[in-house]
This record gives sequence, structure tokens and C-alpha cells, in this order.
Amino acid sequence: MGIRNTTQRWGAVSQSLHWLIVVLLIVQVTLAEMADELPIGVKKLTLLARHKSVGITIFALALLRLAWRLQNPTPLLPGTLKPYERALARFTHVMLYVLLFAMPLSGWMMSSARGFPVSWFHIFQLPDLVPKNKALYDTLVTTHVTLAVVLAVVVTLHVAGALKHHFIHKDDVLRRMLPLPSKGKL
Amino acid sequence: MRRVRRASWTTGWPVVAAAGMGIAVWAWVGASAAGPAAVPHYALDPAKSSLEFNFDQAGAQNKGKFTRFAVSFDFSPENLAAGRLEVTVEMSSADTGDKERDDTLRGGDLFAVAKFPQAHYTATQLTKTPTGYEAVGKLTLRGVTRDVRVPFTFRTATESGASVGYMSGKTTVRRLDFGVGQGDWKATDQLGNDVGVSFALRLSAAAH
Repeated sequence: MGIRNTTQRWGAVSQSLHWLIVVLLIVQVTLAEMADELPIGVKKLTLLARHKSVGITIFALALLRLAWRLQNPTPLLPGTLKPYERALARFTHVMLYVLLFAMPLSGWMMSSARGFPVSWFHIFQLPDLVPKNKALYDTLVTTHVTLAVVLAVVVTLHVAGALKHHFIHKDDVLRRMLPLPSKGKL
Repeated sequence: MRRVRRASWTTGWPVVAAAGMGIAVWAWVGASAAGPAAVPHYALDPAKSSLEFNFDQAGAQNKGKFTRFAVSFDFSPENLAAGRLEVTVEMSSADTGDKERDDTLRGGDLFAVAKFPQAHYTATQLTKTPTGYEAVGKLTLRGVTRDVRVPFTFRTATESGASVGYMSGKTTVRRLDFGVGQGDWKATDQLGNDVGVSFALRLSAAAH
């Protein structure tokens, strides 16, 4: 497996970024759910501070991922796909990228609107994206939560598609995003 | 003879008393004029004064202010020894622009305003520094009293014929020195120990 992508499989950089973001998204949901349960206090602040730091990390990784994708060939979709399957695959992938940016940005804006500047792991403080505004904050909370639900739906579609290819079509679609040998079937 | 003398002493005492008072007044005026310069007394102009604080929350700088506080300041650069600064802060007036956070601040683990409604600062030791002045005084916050140094600048101006003073400065208070932070709040990673306090006051000169 090379560093760069080919038209047949994902390279090491794309694979690493993909799975790293998967792990971080699981961490994000866990931190958000745990923080939601807690009353206002140090523990809640700690979890939310980590949620924000991890969110900014995902934002940076998503930028890196998009840049890498634009500089590399993209593995082709299997030729056996029906037009609507092809459209659905394109749609979910575009949505995943959009959400990888929209989620952290809406969260960051939400923090700014609340008047709580965001720090990245106590290492540096990020600028405020929007001025403090209660009404805007309320809108952004709704946006952030709604986008999280949309992300959950799109991820479900994405995972279902990957598993269908792997277990039903028994092709390389999932294998080529993993450090597994190719079966030469797409 | 005895009766006459007694009568003359009796009738004469108001004159003596008046003379005595005259001497006293003369002595008081004379002492004032000859001694150290009278120290003006300043009172706060709340509408044109601010008392702010800044703190580290989760690695980011956040700001707040106290909206109710009183200042009494006796000060003359020519007579620092007679200077005195007194500040009283209504702790429940803390305003960080976020109701939930303000309620948390007022709660028992932090300011505990129900038990300690006010913070006091009293300084009688005022000194000249290369850049201005410094007050060395005692800050009582959340029932704990500690020495706190407050560097400040002071200038006077005459506005609409009245004498006003402008005082500004900043210092740092370590919140845990005063017990501001009980339980989980003793940790400093989400709420820093160092809290910056800054002020810009407009003071009007008043009669003693």
C-alpha cells in the first residue's frame, strides 16, 4: 500500500485520516453525551473543553483530508453500481465532507456566540467567529444538534453501504480503505 | 471686696472663653497652613468607573465586571502618608455576560455571596513608584484577608470647575488564596488560579 491514492485503492494517508476521524467522532459523541448528563460544574466544563478541542482537531484533519483528496487520484466507484446507487454514494460522501466542516464550525460559532472563547487543549486560544449574541447562540445550538442527527443518518448510510459491498458483493470497496490485500474485484 | 472680685470674674468668663476659642481656631488654621497639605477626599463616580476581572476558563481568557462597588480615596501626591484607599465590592454584582456562569460564581463553592456578600480592600500604605503609585493593603474576600499590592496611576483634572481624579490600575489575585474555589473548583485547569483585576475610576473631590 502506497502513501498516495490510486484509482484502485486508498493510500496510507487517506486511510489514516479516515480512521482517525472515525475514532475522534466516537470520542466526540461520547464527550457530548456525558457532558449533557452533568450539572454545571468543573466536570462538565472539562468534558466540553475536550469536546471543543477534539472538534477543532477534526476540523483541521478534515481540511488536510480534503487537500490530500484534491491532490490525489480518487479510487473509482465499482462499475457494477446502478445509477441511483452511484448518486447515493456521491451524495453520502459529499454530505460527510460537508458535515466534517459544518459540525466543528457550528460548534465553534456556538461557543463564540455564547461568549466562551475556544481553546485547543489549553495550548492556544482561537479567535471568536461571531460576536456574543444570545439569539444567535440559541439558533446555533439547534443547528449543531440537528447537524449531529444528520451526521448520524449519513454515517449509517455510509456504513451500511460499506458493509453491503463487503459482505454481499464481496468486493474491494471496504478492503481498499483498510490495510488489507486487494481481491481485485470491484 | 471679695464679692466684687467674684462678680467681675463671673461676668468676665465669656470673654475668656471667646479668647480661648479664638486661640484654638487660630492654632487649628495655623497648623493646617503650616503642616502637611490637606489631603483631598475623593468619592466614586459610578457611571464613569469600571471594575473588571479576567480569568482563564478552559484555556481561554474570559472577562467579567462588578457593577456595584464603592470607593473612598484620600489622596495627595504631596502627602502620601495621609492617603487611604477603601473599596467595597458587592460580590453579587459580578457580571460575566452569562447568567448560568454568574449564578455559578455566586454559588457556595465560589463567591458564596449569601455568606460573604462583600469584598473589602483597605490600603493605608501608599507609595510612589517609577511608573505611578502602589497601594499595599488588605483584601478581604470570601472571609479571608490577605495582603494585596495594587499598582495604580492617578491624575487630576478640572472639569466644569470641579476637581476630579482619574485612577486606574490592575493587579492579580490568586483566587485559591481566598478560598474562591471549593470542591471541584480547587482544580485550576478549567478555571485558572490567577484572576486579573483592573479598574478605571473617575473620582470627584468632595469635602471631608
